[in-house]
Amino acid sequence: MERTEALLIADLCEGDETALAPLVEKYKRMVYRLAMQITKNHADADDVMQETFIKVYRSIRTFRKDAAFETWLYRIAVNEALNFVKRRERQRVTTLETASESEYEAVTRYRAQVANDPHAHAEKAELRHHVTKAVNSLSLKHRTVVILHEFEGLTHAEIASILNCSEGTVRSRLHYARKKLRTLLKPYVDASNV
Amino acid sequence: MRSKCDKIERLLSDYIDGTLSERQRSVVAVHLRSCKACKRELVDLKKTNHLLENFYVEPEASDAYYARFTTQLQHRIEQSAPTALHQRLFAVTMRLGWQLFTQLHRGIDHSRLGGVLSIRQHAFPYYISGLTLTMLVVASLLLNQVSTHDDGGSMLGRLYGAAKIRFFSADSPTSVQPTAALAIRQDAAGTQPTGIHRSVGAGNVIQGMDFIYSQTKSPSPYRRPTEPPAIDSSSDVWLFTDEPMTEGYIFTTLQEGDSDTVPSAALDIDSELLAYAEIPAQGAFWERLTGRDVLTESRYALLLLQGMDGRHALQQYERKWSGFKDFSEKKLLDVPLETLSISEVYDSREL
Repeated sequence: MERTEALLIADLCEGDETALAPLVEKYKRMVYRLAMQITKNHADADDVMQETFIKVYRSIRTFRKDAAFETWLYRIAVNEALNFVKRRERQRVTTLETASESEYEAVTRYRAQVANDPHAHAEKAELRHHVTKAVNSLSLKHRTVVILHEFEGLTHAEIASILNCSEGTVRSRLHYARKKLRTLLKPYVDASNV
Repeated sequence: MRSKCDKIERLLSDYIDGTLSERQRSVVAVHLRSCKACKRELVDLKKTNHLLENFYVEPEASDAYYARFTTQLQHRIEQSAPTALHQRLFAVTMRLGWQLFTQLHRGIDHSRLGGVLSIRQHAFPYYISGLTLTMLVVASLLLNQVSTHDDGGSMLGRLYGAAKIRFFSADSPTSVQPTAALAIRQDAAGTQPTGIHRSVGAGNVIQGMDFIYSQTKSPSPYRRPTEPPAIDSSSDVWLFTDEPMTEGYIFTTLQEGDSDTVPSAALDIDSELLAYAEIPAQGAFWERLTGRDVLTESRYALLLLQGMDGRHALQQYERKWSGFKDFSEKKLLDVPLETLSISEVYDSREL
C-alpha cells in the first residue's frame, strides 16, 4: 500500500524514519539538480543534498501542513546551496580545485545524452554548451532566480518566498539576468529564427 | 523618448511572463507598436528564452550516485539519532576534564616558581572546576543507572504480538465506524498472557498508548488501569472490544519477570494472533491470521512476533534508542505495511 505524500509527512512528523526514504526517492533528483546548478560543484551538491534531507528529517515538525511541501523543500535546498557557495567563496576555493572524480558522472551523463541523440549535430552540441555556460556564468543571485523561474517553473511569488525577498526584487533580478544572457548569447540570438 | 524606452524595457521581462497589470500591459503594447528598438529588444528576449528552454542542459547524476547517496543519508540519520542524557553529560564532562587538564598543564609549564605554587596561587578556579567535574561524573553515572534500568525491559517486557490495523469500508458511511478487537488465543493449557496494551489512532495520528487490560502481578507506574473486558471463559479467545476506530495500533506485551506465565503458544511459530472487527452496518466478520501472514490488501495488516524480546525490536527499529520515554510503540509498528514481513523484519532468530 503506497503512502501518499501527506501521509508520509504525517508519519515523518510522528518520528517514523521509514517515511523519509520515499520522499528522498521522489525529490532527490530535483534537489541534486538545484544544488548542482547553484554550487556548480558535485562535491558541494552532494553535501547540499545530505544537509537538505537531514534538515527535512529534523525540521519536519516545523513544516506547516497548509503549505506546499515542494516549496518548503525548495527553500531548504536553495538556502543550503547558497550557504555552501558563500562559504566556499569565503574559503577562496575555486570550483576547479574542488572538482572531484565523481563530478564527471554529471558530465558523462551530459555527453551521453548528446551522443545518444540522433539529431545531436556538433552545432547543437556547441549551442547546448554555450547556453549552459552562459547560465553558469551569471552571478549567484541572477543564476538562482533564472534556475527557479525558467527551469523549475516557479512563480515570482514562490521564488520571493524561497529567497525571502520581495517579488519586485525577483522580477528585477530576472530582468537583469535575461539581459545579461541575451548579451552573452548574442551571436545565437541573432542567428535564431524563432 | 529614451527615458520612455528605458521604462518600457524594464517591463519587458514581466511582459513576457504575463505578470503585468492590465494597464501596464496596455501601455507596453501601445509603445511596442511605435518603437522598433523596444520591439527588437522584446524579440531578442523571447529568442533568449527560447534558447534557454531548448538548449540548456540540466545536470543529472548517475543512478549509482543516487544509490550511494541514499545509503549515506540513511547512515547519517542513524548516527544523528538522539543520544541519552547521561551520554551527553559524560561527553561534556570529558571535554571539561580535558580543558581543565590542559589549563593545569599550562599552569605548571609556565610557572617560574614551580607548578605547585602556581596552582596554589590560583586555586579557587581549580577547586570549582574539580567540584563541577565530580558532580557531572556522579550525575552521568546516576543517569546511566536509571537508563540501564529502563533498558532492562521492565516497562516493555517481551513483545508478544503487534498489529497495525486499518479498517476500510467503501460501503460503510464514515459515521459508522467499526469496532476493533484483539483476540489472543490461549494455548491448550489455558495459560494467559499477562498484559495487553492497545494503542489507538484516529486517522493517521497516533494519540498515544492506551492500556486496557492487565493481569500483571506488579503493574508498572506507566499503566493506567481501566475496566477489564469481559472474558468468555468458554471460549478459547479473549475479545477486547473498545471504542470505535478507523485505524489503530494494537500490540501486546508480556512483562519481564513473568516468563513462567508466558503462554507456550507465544513462543510457538504456529501461535496465532487474531484480529476481529465488527462493522455495525454490515455485521461482523473475522480474519484469522497465522504465524507468518501479513495481510495488507484487505481490512487488516497484522503480524505476530513470536516471543521476540522487546529490547531486540527496539535495537532494530530505534537504532539509537536511549530510554523508555523516547520509545514510541508507533515507531515500532509504523513500518510500511508493504515491507512488513515477519521472516525478514521480525524473526527473532535473525537478531
